Amino acid sequence: MTNDAQNGIAASARRIGGVAVLAVRAALRTRTVGALLALLAVCVLVLPGAVKGDGTPEGELHILLTYTLGFAFGILCLATLWAACALFAAEIDSARMQLSAVKPVRAAEFWAGKWLALLALNAAALLAVYTGVYAQVRWRMHRDGWETVEQPVSRYVAHPLLPSPREEARETLDELRARNELPKGYSERTILRALEEKAPEKYTEIPPGRQQAWRFRLSRPLRAGEAVTVRLRFETEYNTRAQVTGICRLGCVETARAVEVPLDDFTLKEIEFAVDARAFGQAPDAGLRTFELSFEHTGDAKHAPGLLLRFRKDVALLTPGGSFWMNLLRAAAVHGSVLALLAAFGLTLSICFSLPVAAFVATVLLVLTMVGNSVVQVVSEEDAKKWSNRAGMLVSRTVHGATRHALKAEPLAALTNGERLEADMLRASLVWNALLLPLLLAAAGCAVLRRRELADAE
Amino acid sequence: MPESKRQPVIETRGLRKVFRDFWRRPTVEAVKGLDLTVNDGEVFGLLGPNGSGKSTTIKMLLGLLRPSAGVVRVLDAAPDDTRAKARIGYLPEVSHLHPFLTPRETLMYYASLFGMPRKEAVRRTHELLVMVDLEHAADRAVGGFSKGMARRVGLAQALVNAPGLLILDEPTSGLDPIGSREVKDLVCALAQGGVTVLMTSHLLADVEDVCDRVAILERGVLRAEGKIAELLRQPDAVRFEVEGLDEPDAAAVRAELEARTGRRVRQEYPAMSLERYFLQVVARDGQQRAFAMAPFLGAAPADTNS
Repeated sequence: MTNDAQNGIAASARRIGGVAVLAVRAALRTRTVGALLALLAVCVLVLPGAVKGDGTPEGELHILLTYTLGFAFGILCLATLWAACALFAAEIDSARMQLSAVKPVRAAEFWAGKWLALLALNAAALLAVYTGVYAQVRWRMHRDGWETVEQPVSRYVAHPLLPSPREEARETLDELRARNELPKGYSERTILRALEEKAPEKYTEIPPGRQQAWRFRLSRPLRAGEAVTVRLRFETEYNTRAQVTGICRLGCVETARAVEVPLDDFTLKEIEFAVDARAFGQAPDAGLRTFELSFEHTGDAKHAPGLLLRFRKDVALLTPGGSFWMNLLRAAAVHGSVLALLAAFGLTLSICFSLPVAAFVATVLLVLTMVGNSVVQVVSEEDAKKWSNRAGMLVSRTVHGATRHALKAEPLAALTNGERLEADMLRASLVWNALLLPLLLAAAGCAVLRRRELADAE
Repeated sequence: MPESKRQPVIETRGLRKVFRDFWRRPTVEAVKGLDLTVNDGEVFGLLGPNGSGKSTTIKMLLGLLRPSAGVVRVLDAAPDDTRAKARIGYLPEVSHLHPFLTPRETLMYYASLFGMPRKEAVRRTHELLVMVDLEHAADRAVGGFSKGMARRVGLAQALVNAPGLLILDEPTSGLDPIGSREVKDLVCALAQGGVTVLMTSHLLADVEDVCDRVAILERGVLRAEGKIAELLRQPDAVRFEVEGLDEPDAAAVRAELEARTGRRVRQEYPAMSLERYFLQVVARDGQQRAFAMAPFLGAAPADTNS
């Protein structure tokens, strides 16, 4: 690299640094940051004491992780979004941007400086929140003797290997077409969609007297001395709390050994039980990877309710996956990446609009994102008959589609379920939220900033 | 430098600006086909009543507004070219400083925007604070400053890069007569050091004091342009000034002149300007302040962008 290029990079770094320092100073010297810190302190220090748990260590941990981290993250999301919306818009509105814009600073350098400032402030806030939660968990572990129970943990999760509903639906459609049994009056696309929706049903229902089996392949093999945990989450077919009985069999394909566990009372929705690796015999050097799990519903065919499971979600094998504290760190990284995306989004909006408009648009889109995900999961196309419902569905699907990569990782759910946030999930979250999408937003924002007039007809 | 060899630093041809409302309907034509040339090393004054298009022109020169038509070249580049911006200093009509920053932080911030290394930025900041006489308030937030003090900070930030072209929009606005005199001295000193200055002012006396050439705008149209001496010269009148002439001698001279020319001769006792009188009364140690500017004069324009 030539000296000129090096000097250019150094000068650019100084400009970005200057813009970032200004933004940090602006944040620290206003009352907003003080108010934000006070809110976060209430979340971390007061909320866990104010919310009543079920008395178990798991319940306490659940409150700490979901309520405390959830509220703190929500506050940080809104604060980041609104602060980002103000950064350019307020400077442009107050004409302060004019003095900076006449200096030899590129639009991208302004954008990067302000984004890095928000990142730094968010990193500090997240560090404070997570440190507070960490300290509370350690303190409660010490005070309440949590070491005796298996919480908190971090585990790899393996979901059953099931065929893709789309492929299955296509195969069924081909068979129906070959037999000339396609329903009349419907297009093939409609039939395919109906088959696709119906395909998972055979894996998600267990009527009394019937059996369901699933195959698993662990991402990390089970070693001797470790235990594999089976997790089942059932919904009864009827809204009852009737007692259900069944037999669970977990077999290892490599050793051809199985363990049978009778379950005679599971009115609770979630069941977890651990099986030691030794129960499957002598493990090969490569460890145990492939398992088969079956569940037989032994309830009375007349009175016992059928069981429902969500496709690919409610049956899982869990194996040891590092420490809970590292998982907490990974969760913080995912949260940080989401805040980085929100900061980028707010900054670009603040270039395009005035502060009130940018804040309004940002808040509406945030709400749409939160609601859109639920709508897409809960409401089917058939339910949306009116044009207004269809329009709502379209908006929800669009927002869901645009944000599904960004919000795929669910750190709070992972922490409370004791599931390890997988490296590929963490990587995807960081790449999408803290790199690709911000780059895209930065490009759009800079294009507008270069074109926009920064003075008016005063 | 001979005038014929001077290079144009600012050039506009057919410059036009139409402001539009939200629906893109034209609301006002602020500048109407302006042709202007400011040469290297010149102090150029842009005059005109309120709403004449002075500030709009300056903002187009700086790339803050986009011309509706016409061509703008500043330092042989487009107004939004960062290489040109690296050599420009700008003081707006209102300083628009960040109220939570101190003068030192403000100058360090603007130095960083020029990509200046920290050590150099610290040195330049110190020199500028001394120059604008704000060392004593260097670590107080600008938000609590008087208009005059804020103006001084604004002026210092315009000089942070030792500019080759200085654009000053109403530079003496908000300053007391001493501060105003200092700014004018500064402009003259910078011009002697080879800096090109474009300034606007409502105070015609200020412009007359420091500018080589002026242009007068009215409702966006260039009404007059030229050297001040040429514009103001009255070729049909001659004035003599004699010190210490008593009344009988003065009457005799007047009578002789009237007899020789056959025209009426007017006799006056010239008075000093109020500004000069005020400065004599309220003299202070800053009267030779231009010397404190020595570090900035003749300095090569910062080209920290490359």
